Amino acid sequence: MVDLSDETKGLGKIFAVFGPLAFGLRYLRERKWVLAIVIVSSVIATLFRLLVPIFIGDAVTSVEKVQFSNVEYYSILIFVVSSVSGGVQFIVNYGSQYISQTYAYNLRKDVFSHLVRKQFGFFEEQTSGDLLSRSTMDIEASRNFILNTASQLIPTLFLIIFAFVFLFTINPYFAGIFTIAVPILIFIGIIFQRKQRTHWRRIRTYYGQMNEQLQENIVGNRVVRGFSAEEQERKKFSGTTGSYYDEYIIVAKLRGKYNNLMPLVVSAAATGILLYGGYTDVISASVVGPLVSAVNIFNLISFPVSFLGRLIVFSENARAGISRIQTVLDPVQDENLESGDQQRLRGNLKFHDVDFKRGDTEILKNISFEVKAGEFVGLTGRTAAGKSTLVNLIPRFYDADSGTITIGATDIRKVSLAMLRRSVAFVPQEINLISGTIKENISFGSSNDGLETIRWAAGIARISDFIESLPNSYETMVGERGITLSGGQRQRVAIARALLTRPEILILDDATSSVDPETELEILREIRKDLSGTTVITVTHRESALRFSDRVFSLNDGVLTEGEFREKEPVASGDFLKGENMEEP
Amino acid sequence: MAYEYEEQEEKFIPMQKGSKAFRRLVKDIFSMKRDSTILVIAVLTTAIAATLYPLALAFAINSVIAGNLANLYFYAAIFFMLYIVQFFSNRERTISSTILAQSVIKSLRERAFENLQYVPVTFFGRVKTGYLISRITNDGETLSEFLTFQLPQVISGIATVIVSISIMFHYDFNLTLYALIVIPVLMGFTISLQSKVRRNYLRTRRAIAAITGNLSENINAIRTIKSFNVEEKMEQRFDGLNTTNFKANMKATLLASFYGSIIRIIEAVGIAIVLIAGAFQLKAGVTSVGILVAFVFYVQEFFEPVVQLSQLYNSYQSSMVGVARIYGIIDFPKQSATENAESSAKFHDRIEFRDVSFSYGEDDALSGINITIRKGEKIGIVGHTGAGKTTLSNLIMKFYSPTDGEILLDGKSLSQVNTGEYRKLIAPVLQEPFMFKGSVYDNVLFSNPGATREQIDALVGRFSLGEIFRNLPEGLRTNIGEMGRNLSEGQRQAISILRAFIRDPEILILDEPTSQIDPYSEKLIIESLSDFLKDKTLVLITHRFSMAALVDKIIVLNEGTVVEEGEFQDLLNSDGVFHHLYTIQYGNSGDS
Ligand SMILES: Nc1ncnc2c1ncn2[C@@H]1O[C@H](COP(=O)(O)OP(=O)(O)O)[C@@H](O)[C@H]1O
Ligand SMILES: Nc1ncnc2c1ncn2[C@@H]1O[C@H](COP(=O)(O)OP(=O)(O)O)[C@@H](O)[C@H]1O
Ligand SMILES: [Mg+2]
Ligand SMILES: [Mg+2]
Repeated sequence: MVDLSDETKGLGKIFAVFGPLAFGLRYLRERKWVLAIVIVSSVIATLFRLLVPIFIGDAVTSVEKVQFSNVEYYSILIFVVSSVSGGVQFIVNYGSQYISQTYAYNLRKDVFSHLVRKQFGFFEEQTSGDLLSRSTMDIEASRNFILNTASQLIPTLFLIIFAFVFLFTINPYFAGIFTIAVPILIFIGIIFQRKQRTHWRRIRTYYGQMNEQLQENIVGNRVVRGFSAEEQERKKFSGTTGSYYDEYIIVAKLRGKYNNLMPLVVSAAATGILLYGGYTDVISASVVGPLVSAVNIFNLISFPVSFLGRLIVFSENARAGISRIQTVLDPVQDENLESGDQQRLRGNLKFHDVDFKRGDTEILKNISFEVKAGEFVGLTGRTAAGKSTLVNLIPRFYDADSGTITIGATDIRKVSLAMLRRSVAFVPQEINLISGTIKENISFGSSNDGLETIRWAAGIARISDFIESLPNSYETMVGERGITLSGGQRQRVAIARALLTRPEILILDDATSSVDPETELEILREIRKDLSGTTVITVTHRESALRFSDRVFSLNDGVLTEGEFREKEPVASGDFLKGENMEEP
Repeated sequence: MAYEYEEQEEKFIPMQKGSKAFRRLVKDIFSMKRDSTILVIAVLTTAIAATLYPLALAFAINSVIAGNLANLYFYAAIFFMLYIVQFFSNRERTISSTILAQSVIKSLRERAFENLQYVPVTFFGRVKTGYLISRITNDGETLSEFLTFQLPQVISGIATVIVSISIMFHYDFNLTLYALIVIPVLMGFTISLQSKVRRNYLRTRRAIAAITGNLSENINAIRTIKSFNVEEKMEQRFDGLNTTNFKANMKATLLASFYGSIIRIIEAVGIAIVLIAGAFQLKAGVTSVGILVAFVFYVQEFFEPVVQLSQLYNSYQSSMVGVARIYGIIDFPKQSATENAESSAKFHDRIEFRDVSFSYGEDDALSGINITIRKGEKIGIVGHTGAGKTTLSNLIMKFYSPTDGEILLDGKSLSQVNTGEYRKLIAPVLQEPFMFKGSVYDNVLFSNPGATREQIDALVGRFSLGEIFRNLPEGLRTNIGEMGRNLSEGQRQAISILRAFIRDPEILILDEPTSQIDPYSEKLIIESLSDFLKDKTLVLITHRFSMAALVDKIIVLNEGTVVEEGEFQDLLNSDGVFHHLYTIQYGNSGDS
């Protein structure tokens, strides 16, 4: 891993500017040769561009000497040299863009592949808006640095070195004065770099926050409107854009000072040479030509030097971006999705002394139970008792802290996640449909199935009639998150989606809460009939669904008990489970 | 790769032409008078200083030749002073250009955000979240580089061009015309590429929006993706977009780099023409050597900014596409103008649906609805899923307006009532509880920032919700994560209920408020609710008949129409939809 920390010492600090470049090289892989071509071309283009003024000078001289044929000769030369330099410049521009885009492409791909492999826990800490900005603008910030270094760094350094050598040949003392300027420049550079750092971090963070608030505001637009909180939301957002703005201005002030200080140091050195050279020339009455050249050379390098200052700015921005990207690239929370070619898991599902904690709170205590293959069980219990947590352990969305879970005779931690999740279908409480057609949504988990099978699944989920009543039937588009469907329709599409994978174990986590009880019961009946071999665990609060189950478990205060259903008058529902303490919490 | 969605989106959110967007942007920039003045002055100062120091140098050298040390010191001091002046002017330039750039960006983002609060709700059904985010954040960012670094260059470039052209004309009129021959070529070349360049940049903006959109969707659907083990499929899909983005950018670069190279060649042609024409004129004795030499110097001075300006052209196009996409959001028409409507809304008597029909596009989701909700009345709405219950509540909330018929508030059409004021009368519990990042308290306070934590605690106590939150490590101060992901769904619903109740509203609209809450907690809520509801109007959508005790009247919806209406007992005794639903839930389900 490339070290982007602040800990680099001494002179190393200034080389830390290139930290993002070292990071970038990893993503260029076999395209490093393009980088080499770009660098060489950039040097050639610069050289050729320097030739043009020389030829113009020569042409003017010929005019002065009234050698007109030479003028034509130089004109053609200027044209040729410009064309060549233009052509080479094309390679530089296109090539450096190619390098930077390749970098961004590969990095983004890597980020995505880490992202989809992250455990659930990761997404509970991060926000989607912020992750968006990590995968777009933070990458862009580092790409910009790579683009600029690839195309301009080497010519810039080249110009500076060239100037130094030239000065040395004119007069070693001049070179000496230049040498004094260098450490001052580096010193300024380091301070400049250091002072910006925290601000770029904040800029990148606020950018993420902007994305985050947009995401929340857009997804929650009905809540915002429903409570007329538009003004409040606007203030919140403008708080963030305000902080973002403030940080940018702070950086601009630093830039204004330090970045312009660098050419000023160069011109101070130029003045020094002018004074020293002028003084010695007057004393020794020598020719002034070399002095003029030397001072002019200094003028020439003040632009490259200030470009290096700008590079520091880009670099700090890139570095701040990269350190945010590395949160995603860090493999610690990645799941291993390698799929061995094992058989699907079959057999009884068994929890053995399972404990689960979130932070310090014990959610599940010593849970042990067994569900036979093909059984249909109901799970109920107070809100926040840990029902969802419990069923989430089965496809290993979370791992138990202690105890084991087995399917058949296999410990679920011993098989690949891919295989486990292919055997278990989970319909969560919070339904997520993707934007696309209903068909695409239902076949999300098993895209090879034909329309017939899709119809079959939709039929069991009691949604096929509705779908077929739509003008475009299965090709109807559902909006993002399925917003063009009613809550219950969405839940039923999700059930069909799960059924299509023909799971060994089907988990319905309150997956019919928005479906009316009548339809719910029809669905459960169909599932029992058509997927008779499938083990079903349904988490529910509904009496009718519990009544339908073979067995009913109740989870309270992290303890699981098996309940027996008690026929009871409906109105005071909630106390329909015998032998447990629902009445007195 | 086809851009089906993108094109649809662009049709839905129309985009201004680049030049129009530019004019608007320039207006925005120059409305910041102070900073734009500073910028112009700073840029010009820098330019003037730059033309003066060769002069100072020349005088210094002359002093050396003359052996006059005092003059050398004097001119060297001036030479350095000019750099110091430049230091300060550059500093001001850097700061003021950033202020301009960032203020413009900030205000664009804020205006876009603000308008998003007022566009019709249907807008969000048409445009994907990630795409919208990309417009506001990423597209806004394209301006940063252009305004911060390139705008000053444009200003100094234009100034230099004007100065050098005037000098050139002053020296030699004919020769200047020769020098300008290439300008129409340059312009023609630029204009011929314009639409292509713009299209290229539009493609890059779309591509990054598609990436953002895809990422947003994937991150939000991550649980589903994992459940179905389709990570690799999603990777492939993302790779497609990533590749499109790469190609779009390379395509834009190809043209931009080509353009840049051709410009350099055109410049060389221009210089060559001047040299040759100058030589001929010299031969013909029309001009002098001295003038020609000076002329060549100014031709270079003139071409430098011209070349620079042309190279900025790409960056200009790219930011104009970006800014036009943000203007698209800013200009999107707001939901029916309520500005001129009466500024306060009062609920005295009743809300009435008169022959209301509503359609989301194709079939009617509701048709021929005639209901009256009297002040203080408690109404229950039941029906199968998809019957139109939520749609009905959306109409009451004024999220949508009826396609046919009218909703009247105390006899006045709802469309004439100020939306914001009207909604202040109402507190909804939406079917889908939506949570913001922050603590439980923050989420409740969202609807009523004036309330105190004590009030919330009291409310929690009153409705016995403490039990539901007992597991939270820091009680109601616990951070619940984005979208409340660190909570159980039932807890989210409880917060959603608290959020509505803390407003102490006149009208409560509860859409399946307890669907994920256990019956025991629900019972406790119901027990305290009748007291809370005194004098309030209630619209309650539910599948739970345990809540029937709360309502005076029940409306049964089926396939978008009212099929039954009456009191609980009457409906139960009649053999209709209601009776049926009831029996299913509490009667013997038969075959278990
Ligand atoms: N992702 C999470 N991060 C932290 N705490 C959580 C998370 N999900 C649930 N919890 C907490 O765990 C407890 C049990 O939640 P859950 O299993 O969802 O309950 P149930 O499904 O029974 O309503 C609750 O107190 C809840 O706040
Ligand atoms: N935003 C929307 N766009 C298009 N159709 C919608 C939208 N929301 C709901 N519908 C459709 O309108 C009908 C009624 O939905 P809804 O009112 O949500 O039902 P419910 O009675 O379950 O609350 C359903 O058929 C649903 O598919
Ligand atoms: Mg749950
Ligand atoms: Mg609904």
